[in-house]
Amino acid sequence: MKFYINATLAFAMLLCTAVVLAEPFVSGGAIGSQTDDGYNALGPVVVQPIEFPHNTHAGTMGINCMYCHTYARRSAVSGIPRLDKCMGCHNLIESVKDKPRIKQLFAYWEKKEAIPWLKVHDLPDFVRFNHERHIQRFYFKDGRPVREVCGYCHGDVASMTTARRVKALSMGWCISCHQKDHQESATNLKTSNGPNDCWQCHK
Amino acid sequence: MSGSNTIDRRDFLRVLGISGAAATLAGCGNTAIESGVEKVQSYVQPEDFVVPGVGVYYASTCAQCGSGCGVMGRVREGRILKLEGNTHSVISGGKICALGQAAVQVHYNPDRLTTPLMREGGELKPTTWDKAMATLTARLGGESTLKGAQIAFLTGEVSGHQKALIGNFLDSFNSTHHVVYDALSTATGQAASKAVLGAAQPLLQIDKATLILSFGNDFLGAGVSPVHMAAQYARFRKAPRGTLIQIEPRMTLTGANADRWYALKPGTEGVFALGLAHALLEHGQFAKTVPAPIVAALKEYDKETVSGITGVHADAIPHVAGMLMEHTPSLVLSGPSAEGQVNGAQNAAAILLLNVILGNAGKTLQGQASHPFPQLIASAGSYAALTQLNNSMASGQCQALLIAGSNPIFSAPGFLPFAKSMEKVPFKVALVTQVDETAAQCDLVLPLHSPLEAFGSHVSSYQPRGVEIGIQQPLMEGLYPDTRAFGDIVLDLLRQREPKNYKAFPDYYAYLKLAITKARPVFKSKLSDDDFWEDALRSGVLQLDAAPTALKTNASVVVVSKPEKHVIDVRYPFYFVPSVRADLRDGRHANLPWLQESPDSLTTIVWDSWVEIHPSTAAEMQIREGDILEVQSASGSVRAKAYLFPGLQPDTVSMPLGQGHTAYGRYANGMGVNPFKILNPLFDAQTGELATHATRVVIKKTGEHELMVKDEGATNLQQGRKLVATVAADQAELAKETSHVVE
Repeated sequence: MKFYINATLAFAMLLCTAVVLAEPFVSGGAIGSQTDDGYNALGPVVVQPIEFPHNTHAGTMGINCMYCHTYARRSAVSGIPRLDKCMGCHNLIESVKDKPRIKQLFAYWEKKEAIPWLKVHDLPDFVRFNHERHIQRFYFKDGRPVREVCGYCHGDVASMTTARRVKALSMGWCISCHQKDHQESATNLKTSNGPNDCWQCHK
Repeated sequence: MSGSNTIDRRDFLRVLGISGAAATLAGCGNTAIESGVEKVQSYVQPEDFVVPGVGVYYASTCAQCGSGCGVMGRVREGRILKLEGNTHSVISGGKICALGQAAVQVHYNPDRLTTPLMREGGELKPTTWDKAMATLTARLGGESTLKGAQIAFLTGEVSGHQKALIGNFLDSFNSTHHVVYDALSTATGQAASKAVLGAAQPLLQIDKATLILSFGNDFLGAGVSPVHMAAQYARFRKAPRGTLIQIEPRMTLTGANADRWYALKPGTEGVFALGLAHALLEHGQFAKTVPAPIVAALKEYDKETVSGITGVHADAIPHVAGMLMEHTPSLVLSGPSAEGQVNGAQNAAAILLLNVILGNAGKTLQGQASHPFPQLIASAGSYAALTQLNNSMASGQCQALLIAGSNPIFSAPGFLPFAKSMEKVPFKVALVTQVDETAAQCDLVLPLHSPLEAFGSHVSSYQPRGVEIGIQQPLMEGLYPDTRAFGDIVLDLLRQREPKNYKAFPDYYAYLKLAITKARPVFKSKLSDDDFWEDALRSGVLQLDAAPTALKTNASVVVVSKPEKHVIDVRYPFYFVPSVRADLRDGRHANLPWLQESPDSLTTIVWDSWVEIHPSTAAEMQIREGDILEVQSASGSVRAKAYLFPGLQPDTVSMPLGQGHTAYGRYANGMGVNPFKILNPLFDAQTGELATHATRVVIKKTGEHELMVKDEGATNLQQGRKLVATVAADQAELAKETSHVVE
């Protein structure tokens, strides 16, 4: 039997399949369930080649996010930290060298091979989000804490191991923040909001 | 029910099974890309300046035409994204043209050849490099017994160390048959220029002229070094604004920029020029500039006679002559429409004679600086070279043919049986980035790196100031694992033929680096060899200050024959002018969709061929825009849509070159028709070059009609309203523009 794809039918089937295919999630709720800012858009748990513990680095150690994610303040995209960045410290930290995850790290380094990380936060190509603009404004100009600034979009990564998308990253969600009146800085009570022109992101 | 919009239920579920999770998220109104699907490429140990999302610029040289413009490539995350001009380059001056912009489409073209092809059982089939090189080595390697004329290397305009390498390769066979073919060759004009001005390609100092009189020279469009010319032209037009007069049968882009545009009958440019010479020589101040016999012979070129032959109003001669007298220094240029005639060299000589009379040599015309490496300068392509090769192949003399950067099966005229002659060559190798009509006839087709992936050097035959050698460096790693650099392939063969001389070079990079660093003393550099090389790569150019040389003019070579009217063959009443588009050129760029999509600069037509016909002629013949016309010459016929174009001499029809490909990828195949194939076997009497603009045609209506795809709105240029007031050139009140009216 053949039939034309009917939009309603397709949507219904998508929902059915979602139920069938949904895998059990480790923590934080099912895929598509409510994010902490009230959108039904929680991302899936992503199994990375190395289970990188953000909680150890940013949480326990209190390392500034931008120590590793150096590109975020310099470029529109944040990129992924370079492998020699990891090695810069871990070459010198004898105490954890025999841990399985660190062994994995050293294996990649010895092969001079990039770790094939999977994308967790990504926007369609027709959206131009600029990391540099946001970090320069909220972290450097306003002097807000880095965990808060990065956390606007990435959630509290310092409490996760590998990152999971906990914000919607949809247009309505972006706009909801851009429409807010932001206090200019801790001392300057003047407020302003983010640009809401279409072309700011769609160029 | 098997329409393309139906889908089998099982297929539907299978598709869903694969992308179910992605589809679910999309269904929830979430615009973020799904997590955990794509990999994100990270660096292991990058250079410190590498920041993802931030472009880095590397210098290179554009290989889209022979001008050798220095370019800067913007590279981000290891991929070349865009080319800009390199400000270090004298030729490009930091600018770039549409051809250069489209170079990334040569590189990312989905029709790129990615594996070698070998003919098996009459068909080209993919093969491995090992097999391809084994075949190549067996035929052309160390054991090959081919000698002299048995081997030929056919290329387009090639220069720099690639040219030197081809020469060395042929040397190893005691062969000198490096055949350079250029379908848009300017050999006729160069021969005339050499005779009259003493230099085949003199420097045109457009910015120093106050008046330019151009006979069909499209220096802003498809001429020599158009980027450099456009920059000079901009200075020429700054206050005090220079005046441009263009005389040609079909309006070029340069003609469209002219202050005054005259349409004349094709082939009569020389007569018009001699008419001007006559008018000027009536004045004592110019009398001594040309030998007395010429002055005497010119007596017959009075304005009425000239007008009768050229079809230009008689008053135009004294007015143009008056403007030439009033504006000094001036510059008179000849172009393809004047040179591509049976009397082409004579036309060009007559036109260039005006420069001698007006004393422009040394002011707006100078000789190019002497070059320390003449062997690297691009050799001028010619039609004569191709016919020689054709004869050599047809006679069975040529046993092996290598082809790179030339597509004569497409761009040679239809009457030349090149494809048939090529069949007689037992071993034909093409080196291409993409299969074209000629490569499709070869026995072995080798996939090349794009110019954005390979090392090389370029030395243009037109050096605007001093000497510039353009360095081409890879702007990214090869897109495909099985493509190789042109230099590497030729060097590979040379290593087998002359191991003694070439085994020291593991690859073309090593060869080029050594060749460049050996040239260091010439550039008086105090750097070490390595630093000199790094510096050349960084700046993209090697430059030498050198003064222009003086021209030795010789007016006595100009032949002034009795002015005669053209005899019109009643069977072929129309002159046929093939026009060269600044983007597609001879068709080599028809595979680049940006250039196909960019509207033709004068008609705004895209993705097609068309027949330009004068509105008054069209009205007489009751032809509307979009009517399919058959344009027939004695050598063949093509069909295309009519386009009513006022920028034409009324007895002329014109068609653009470059379209009509049959085996050049998805963007070129089946677009338009190829007017090269209807050119008649007519040749310039002096040089033997093909007279590209001398064909006569007849127009036949087919009764069919199709919509013309173009950006221009209405067919009448002013939308039925007088938006821009214009006056025909011969009706303008010229006296207001010039005080010197020569009678």
